[in-house]
Amino acid sequence: MEDEEKIIMQLIIHGGDARAYSMKAIQAAEKGEFMEADKLMGEARTSLNKAHDLQTTIIQEEIRGKPTSTTLLMVHAQDHVMNAMTVRDLAQHLIQLREEVHLFHTQKVSQEEIA
Amino acid sequence: MTLSIMLACAGGFSTSMLVERMKDAAKERGMEVNIDATAEGKVDKLIQNIDILLLGPQVGYMEESFKKKYSGHPVAIATIPSMDYGMMNGKKVLADALNLLNK
Repeated sequence: MEDEEKIIMQLIIHGGDARAYSMKAIQAAEKGEFMEADKLMGEARTSLNKAHDLQTTIIQEEIRGKPTSTTLLMVHAQDHVMNAMTVRDLAQHLIQLREEVHLFHTQKVSQEEIA
Repeated sequence: MTLSIMLACAGGFSTSMLVERMKDAAKERGMEVNIDATAEGKVDKLIQNIDILLLGPQVGYMEESFKKKYSGHPVAIATIPSMDYGMMNGKKVLADALNLLNK
């Protein structure tokens, strides 16, 4: 594979992985597995960092006068990364919300038990 | 009937590249097989005619729900490993897919 194609595919892999990890984290939180959700969000962060590093590299090369060609596939790879960032950010909020709901329920149950 | 493999990802775009590599790999093997790509949202309409459903790694989190949803269908479902997907390793993805049928 050519270098450019390799970079594109890596953006798609890391972006895709980050999205999948974030979604799995939400699923874990839905089951009340908050430690697992936290671990998965860590994985999402690692994947996104890798994608971000690649982006930084190609942007810096462009500034140095060695631009990467803007093919439709490259645009698509960027879509993957941007989408993964959005999903990751929202997942963080959803998991926190789940945690609050979980805490609320357990407190309510224990109060009812006392009463 | 010809074996039918469907690849599903978020939009069906990057997966279509892998489909081409898999078709090459099938040709090398001298196999008659239908390989196509679609978006995960369209799988419902196509499931009747699919023997093997492969999910792109970015929608791998849907594997369990797909397996549950299509438990009544004779379809094998798996997620493509990120590395094979990224390297566009059509040969390996095809070989892994065919192995699913032997399980």
